[in-house]
Amino acid sequence: MQVSVESREGLERRMTVEIPAEMVNGALEKRLREIARNAKIDGFRPGKVPLSIIRQRYSGQARQEVFGDLVQSTYFQALAKENLQPAGEPSIEPLQMEPAEGLGYVAVFEVMPEVKLQDLSEKVIVRPQVEVTDADLDAMILKLRKQRTTWNEITRKAQEGDQVTIDFKGFIDGEAFDGGSAEGVPLVLGTSSMIPGFEEGLLGVESGENRTLELNFPEEYRAKHLAGKAAKFDVVVKKIAEPILPEVDDEFAKVFGVAEGGVNGLHKEIRSNMERELQEKIRGVLKEQAMDLLLEVNEVTVPKALIGQEAAALQQQTKQNMAQNGQTSSIDLPLNLFEDQAKRRVALGLILGEVIRENKIELDNERVRTRVEQFAQSYEDPQEVIDYYLKDKKQLAAIENVVLEEQVVDWVMEQVKVEDKARNFDDLMNNSHTGTGSDS
Amino acid sequence: MNNDRLMQVLVTPVVSEKSTVAADSSRQFVFHVLPDASKPEIRKAVEMMFDVKVDAVRVVNIKGKHKRFGRLMGRRNNIRKAYVKLAEGSDIDFGGIA
Repeated sequence: MQVSVESREGLERRMTVEIPAEMVNGALEKRLREIARNAKIDGFRPGKVPLSIIRQRYSGQARQEVFGDLVQSTYFQALAKENLQPAGEPSIEPLQMEPAEGLGYVAVFEVMPEVKLQDLSEKVIVRPQVEVTDADLDAMILKLRKQRTTWNEITRKAQEGDQVTIDFKGFIDGEAFDGGSAEGVPLVLGTSSMIPGFEEGLLGVESGENRTLELNFPEEYRAKHLAGKAAKFDVVVKKIAEPILPEVDDEFAKVFGVAEGGVNGLHKEIRSNMERELQEKIRGVLKEQAMDLLLEVNEVTVPKALIGQEAAALQQQTKQNMAQNGQTSSIDLPLNLFEDQAKRRVALGLILGEVIRENKIELDNERVRTRVEQFAQSYEDPQEVIDYYLKDKKQLAAIENVVLEEQVVDWVMEQVKVEDKARNFDDLMNNSHTGTGSDS
Repeated sequence: MNNDRLMQVLVTPVVSEKSTVAADSSRQFVFHVLPDASKPEIRKAVEMMFDVKVDAVRVVNIKGKHKRFGRLMGRRNNIRKAYVKLAEGSDIDFGGIA
């Protein structure tokens, strides 16, 4: 067997394999004899057909089969011989050769890129240092109280934050227009849920008062036929109510499922919740940075075949998600939409694989267990969830993946310089985008 | 005995276990021939078409079987077969035909 490899641009390789005639003929002969055993030809009892006639009739077919088999077996031999790692399926083209010379084919494929891990010790990862302060806690509680706002009807003039209940009719050029009128609408002033000017125009109204507002729809209003038009609204104010925030007391705590311990218990519960979220978030931020760093430092040429596969998988996944959300899956999602993401994921996968191999990172089963338990905490019957996960290989594999990723992140953190940076809770939670998607 | 006639005499070679055995053991090749073909005709025809020397020709007539389809009686065509023995050193390869 003769093998020669030609490097083409990027990761593409052309491997020419020539198989000597003896090998081909041997295989061919064997194949023909096999056919002879079962061949049915008129004038002969089955299995009694002389080889010469089998050869006449079946040699073409047998040749093709033998070619297929030989390609199968020699392809991997040839790869081993040349020490190549193909990514994806090869495209195989037979060489035109005389039967006496044996067979030959050209396999074109892409090889797995070699990932050389670069030194990370000069790189910096910023680790957010955050404490859950009392102020953060108070802010959270205020948010919770706002969710439970009740409205108390009053007679004073409306001010910002008040809820007014109104009927209104809208006119453009003296004509009522579609969707321009409604009755008994509760509207909280200052929430910008109406077009600009509407809510401001209602500041200071009294219950029962009629007001006429002359307003312009904004240029980029979502209803095209209204955008930029001048409109007149006749508004009747039915009711004005001021917001009442519930007091933080045992009653309030009970609403949030804290039956024991009252206010203090609630505080504790909220704080531990916030801290858990915070840990999760910090982990996400670190992971994202670590992944970005790995990508940035280790340049990888990604085989197109793998990108194609990954993109197809992503496409499939997205379609499924959409179908589950009840959207019609008839929307055509072009494959190239996913290519960038696919490329990133494949590259990361390759790098992570190399990191894991090079540093002999092994899956920490203890961590998997803790992780599952943690996850199960939020369910009603944690033990059941744990059992479910530990039994189902597929589900468990997903978690193992996450843990392995975490271990890689830990490794990265050991390599790089870590810079601690104080941030405050609110800022971190709301302003840095999440990076918790599974990347490998 | 013109050439056109000779071209038509041999209908088809017979490929079967029996004919293979005949060819292997005694250089006899078997053909279906026209029902009214004579031995000299067959000899000439084989010599012309395959460019070989013929030693001897033997023929058999096989009566067509009587077959009935419901109440209808039918009869298959009679077949005339020729066993053509080639002279030493001659051979026929049915390559494409068989």
